[in-house]
Amino acid sequence: MIWKTAWKNVWRNKVRSLVVIISITIGIFGGVFAIAVMNGAIEQKVDATLNDEIAHIHINDPAFRDNYDIQLSVDQPEQTIAMVRNMPGVEAVAPRTVITGMANTATKSAGVQILGINPESEREVLQLCQTTIPGTGDFFDAESRYQLAYIGEALAKELNIIRYRIDESMLDSLAKREVPAEVLEKLVPFSGHRFKSEKSFKKEVKGVLSMKEQHEYGAVIKEEAWSFRARSKMTLTFLDKDQMQTGAVFRIAGIYDIKNSMYEMSQVLVQNEDLAALTGMASNEYHQLIIRLDDLESTKVVSESLKGKLDGLEVMNWKEIQPELAMMTDMVSKFYAIFMVIILAALAFGIVNKMLMVVLERTKELGMLTAIGMNKKRVFSMIMLESVFLSLVGGVTGIIISKALISATARKGINFASYAEGFEAMGYPAHIYPVISTSFFITVTVLIIITGILSSIYPALKALKLDPAEALRTE
Amino acid sequence: MNNLKLAWRNLWRNRRRTLITSASIFFAVFFALVMRSLQLGSYDHMYKNAIESYTGYIQVQHKDFWDEKIVDNTFAYNQQLEQQLLADKNVEACIPRFESFALASNGPQTKGVLVMGVDPDKEIHLSNVKDKMVKYRLSPEAIEKIRQDPNLPEKVKELAILFENSAYTNNSRLQLDLGIDDKKASELMPAIEGHAAFKNGFIHLGEPGVWVGEKLSQYLQLGIGDTIVLISQGYHATTAAGKYEIKGIVKLPLPDIDNKIVYLPLDICQDLFNAEKNLTSLALAVDDNQDKAIAQTVQRISGLVSKDQKVMEWREMNEVMVSQMDADDKGGQIMLGILYLVIAFGVFGTVLMLTAERKREFGVLVAIGMQKKKLASIMTMEMLLIGLIGILAGALVASIVILYGVEHPLIFKGETAKIFEEYGMEPKMAFWNIDTYYIWQMVIVAFMVLLAIAYPLRKIFGMKVVNALRA
Amino acid sequence: MKILEIKNVHKIYNSSEVKVHAVNDISLDFEKGEFAAIVGPSGSGKTTLLNMIGGLDTPTEGEIMVDHTNLAGLKSSALIDFRMRNIGFVFQSYNLIPVLTAKENVEFIMSLQKWNKKEKDERTYELLKAVGLEDRINSRPSKLSGGQQQRVAVARALASKPKFVLADEPTANLDSKSTETLLDIMEELNKEEGITFIFSTHDARVVKKARRVITVEDGKVISDERKK
Ligand SMILES: Nc1ncnc2c1ncn2[C@@H]1O[C@H](COP(=O)(O)OP(=O)(O)O)[C@@H](O)[C@H]1O
Ligand SMILES: [Mg+2]
Repeated sequence: MIWKTAWKNVWRNKVRSLVVIISITIGIFGGVFAIAVMNGAIEQKVDATLNDEIAHIHINDPAFRDNYDIQLSVDQPEQTIAMVRNMPGVEAVAPRTVITGMANTATKSAGVQILGINPESEREVLQLCQTTIPGTGDFFDAESRYQLAYIGEALAKELNIIRYRIDESMLDSLAKREVPAEVLEKLVPFSGHRFKSEKSFKKEVKGVLSMKEQHEYGAVIKEEAWSFRARSKMTLTFLDKDQMQTGAVFRIAGIYDIKNSMYEMSQVLVQNEDLAALTGMASNEYHQLIIRLDDLESTKVVSESLKGKLDGLEVMNWKEIQPELAMMTDMVSKFYAIFMVIILAALAFGIVNKMLMVVLERTKELGMLTAIGMNKKRVFSMIMLESVFLSLVGGVTGIIISKALISATARKGINFASYAEGFEAMGYPAHIYPVISTSFFITVTVLIIITGILSSIYPALKALKLDPAEALRTE
Repeated sequence: MNNLKLAWRNLWRNRRRTLITSASIFFAVFFALVMRSLQLGSYDHMYKNAIESYTGYIQVQHKDFWDEKIVDNTFAYNQQLEQQLLADKNVEACIPRFESFALASNGPQTKGVLVMGVDPDKEIHLSNVKDKMVKYRLSPEAIEKIRQDPNLPEKVKELAILFENSAYTNNSRLQLDLGIDDKKASELMPAIEGHAAFKNGFIHLGEPGVWVGEKLSQYLQLGIGDTIVLISQGYHATTAAGKYEIKGIVKLPLPDIDNKIVYLPLDICQDLFNAEKNLTSLALAVDDNQDKAIAQTVQRISGLVSKDQKVMEWREMNEVMVSQMDADDKGGQIMLGILYLVIAFGVFGTVLMLTAERKREFGVLVAIGMQKKKLASIMTMEMLLIGLIGILAGALVASIVILYGVEHPLIFKGETAKIFEEYGMEPKMAFWNIDTYYIWQMVIVAFMVLLAIAYPLRKIFGMKVVNALRA
Repeated sequence: MKILEIKNVHKIYNSSEVKVHAVNDISLDFEKGEFAAIVGPSGSGKTTLLNMIGGLDTPTEGEIMVDHTNLAGLKSSALIDFRMRNIGFVFQSYNLIPVLTAKENVEFIMSLQKWNKKEKDERTYELLKAVGLEDRINSRPSKLSGGQQQRVAVARALASKPKFVLADEPTANLDSKSTETLLDIMEELNKEEGITFIFSTHDARVVKKARRVITVEDGKVISDERKK
């Protein structure tokens, strides 16, 4: 009976209740959706880091990571690889050589890490091979008489391997893609021009186009101006096993794009046999084994058992390799909680106000109820229930709307293209697919109920203080 | 009986409700101000770090240098230009630089590094490198000495081990990491400073020798007196290689730069790259660093430089950072937007209750001759007063926090500090002093109140007196 | 001198289901200085009639002329102004402004009319003295009894020297002692100062005091008697 009365009481003053309900709906929706976007970005980053960059577990000499000493290779690599591959829970293993060096083109140079890999096993462990930019080549698929290197987009731009040019054929294809003539006209003065870098291209084009034109056709123009000569050259320089400077010309096998400019700038993949020939290392000598597991959840179990089996080698799981990544996941969930609590606290003010109003307005009625024998506990819980119902109606509506919008945007994602540079510099994709776990919704629902209860305490206490006789006399 | 007085008295009719509504505004304003202060403070701090340890506010460069940082894109030092630049009212000093990339190695360890040829004396005007030199370091030997010291508490010894190999440019950070409070500082710090003292030397024009970033020195396992080998490509594709003694270690507040910077004396650097007397850039130290002053200075200077040169300001040179901060800024604003929206609804609810319960009174007032306009203005005033109380209280409390925070920025240590560093940030959150953003909060709240009051005002104007009286 | 003419006034309420003919063809004239009671059972149309006279409500049909001004011809803000200057109101449930003191309530309309302070003070004192509350000048309504509040309301109604005062069941919420006091005060004001009172009631003791008794039933005037 109390439940029913409380529920009906919520709807007694519809307009006023709706204001509170809508404010809760908006607050919860805004909070949950904003968090889903942030969370989506972070999950994407974690996923991408694991799938494209580090896999789940690394095995190497205990001192290797200190300064990538070329001498510190893994003992008895074949047996170790075979043993690891047969471990339950391990999906694939790939051996690597890791060397620090420098990449040069005719005009520019950059410090890089050179990874000597076996394309077949690498493919089983990481998905980096699938991120090749169309038209730039492939992941060591095509036969070639040259030594090949697979490099990141950011490095390719830095080294001027990717360039931007505007010429007749480019303008033609723009016309085919329905870029209006007046826009093309503005680009004609650049015809035949090769830009030194992406930056200078952007700047020059921005200089002639209006904001609206940039917005509408910028992406197409950039796509068409993008120019890459297949099998461009690049020199890799590094120190060999005897610490003598060595190096060779490599041609570009393909260019990968993983939306993380730091990684793209620094990691160059070459075939291990090519590298071994230059370093003087044996062709089956490796610095590191990287491991992909069947299931992310089993990371800890598998890495512990590997630690037990592999004496004299360092076994690190991704949480240990990138503690910041693991920490950040923890830290952001704390941040989510704080953000939600702030919003709920703001909402609580509205609820307290409304419930206080309810109590003062119903003085007579509450007095009557006490007079006919409803005890204080019941009065208290009736008011509390009304407040909880009020909060829940708003909260659940907010959750439903957020859920719907998350599902709606989850497929196509939300593109923060104008901040792409900043996002990618931090290793985040600028195209975000919002996502949030079901357990978060449960947590939020619980928080809403708690807010409802807490907000009703003061008004309910006020109601108890009412003197029934006094209450009945009030006009 | 003026309107304001009536509005004011009305406010205290339902004291609780007024206070709750004001409290909700207080809450929002307080959060908004502190958050804005932290955001703006952090951006400013980040920018200052980037500007002071690397780019400076304004640089004169070879026109292609920024897009293509190669040794060929340099210009010859020109005294006349320097004189002209110095004559500008906002330019304090011209700092010549030669910047390039090289592969640095120490035996088996190699790494790509940023080589900066500087004039150490002139650099003082801008990047005050001397302040950034490592003064203390918890090296294994230093930790051993601390552990042996009978006067030091156990806790300090444990923390020292935890922070093994950390380097410090000042003693306050060292004190913080070792968990020593201000009261004990004068007693304990001198001994610790003695144990952890780190001797750095200077570099001078004409003398081969380098300073390296602290993170880089750790990576390459180099200390003072060790030799670093630099290999690169010089002017007109010549080979550039040299061996230098490490004279000092600097710790820059930008982890991304700290792990790759090598400072060389300018002339030694020019020799290394066979660049004669060429420079890659002239960084300018300015007097007034406000955005507007910088923009004006850039405009004035642009007229002085030759066709082969261009003038860049810090925003262009720190594009990525600016874009990062912009994204963060937008995120923060969205969060505040949600908060304010929620509060606006709360205010709306209050206005609604207030109108409902005073409906009859409004009827009486209009019946005995008060114009609706006047009634509406009293209502508006009442709500604005509620807003004002909230704003003033919020601003007051926030000011206390902010004024304290400006003097005592939040400094993170341990794991949290690492996360900051992963994003290339110093693990420090500074507050931005009270500024125009305060006014913005007031405007927003006032706007919010006006928005919330629109509906009830319409009700007043549409009110039928007879119906109101019957309520 | 006629100060109020009601000509063939009708008021029909068209609420959702039923049509109520609350005032059905009433015509009445009032002279200056009258002390008139409108009497009738609950629901007979007294309040509706008084509201229309006071310009708070508009007749469905017919005309109301206050001091030769047709109320129907006034726009809403002009009507409010007209009301303030010409008509005083006393409501059944006092309806003083709770945040203002007795003095401030009485002054309220004078403030709206921008009287100067001295005039205001003098008149307020005079009025409060007339209703016997000169010693409660600074009390807020919540500190006054019902009868006292209603006396303040009468003082407030007189503040702007209106042509007449309308009082809808002014004594309905009062005990008999307060009723008597209030009526004595009204009667005195009427006799000494010539203020016109038109009030509604269904209380026989109040009716006795009136010099003109208009009886309504089902929205129609069934008798209109003047006493000597
Ligand atoms: N706003 C209204 N809507 C519909 N009917 C009304 C309204 N106001 C009054 N009435 C009806 O008009 C009639 C006269 O009411 P009223 O003037 O209040 O009578 P009295 O004041 O004599 O008690 C009653 O039947 C009442 O129900
Ligand atoms: Mg009535």
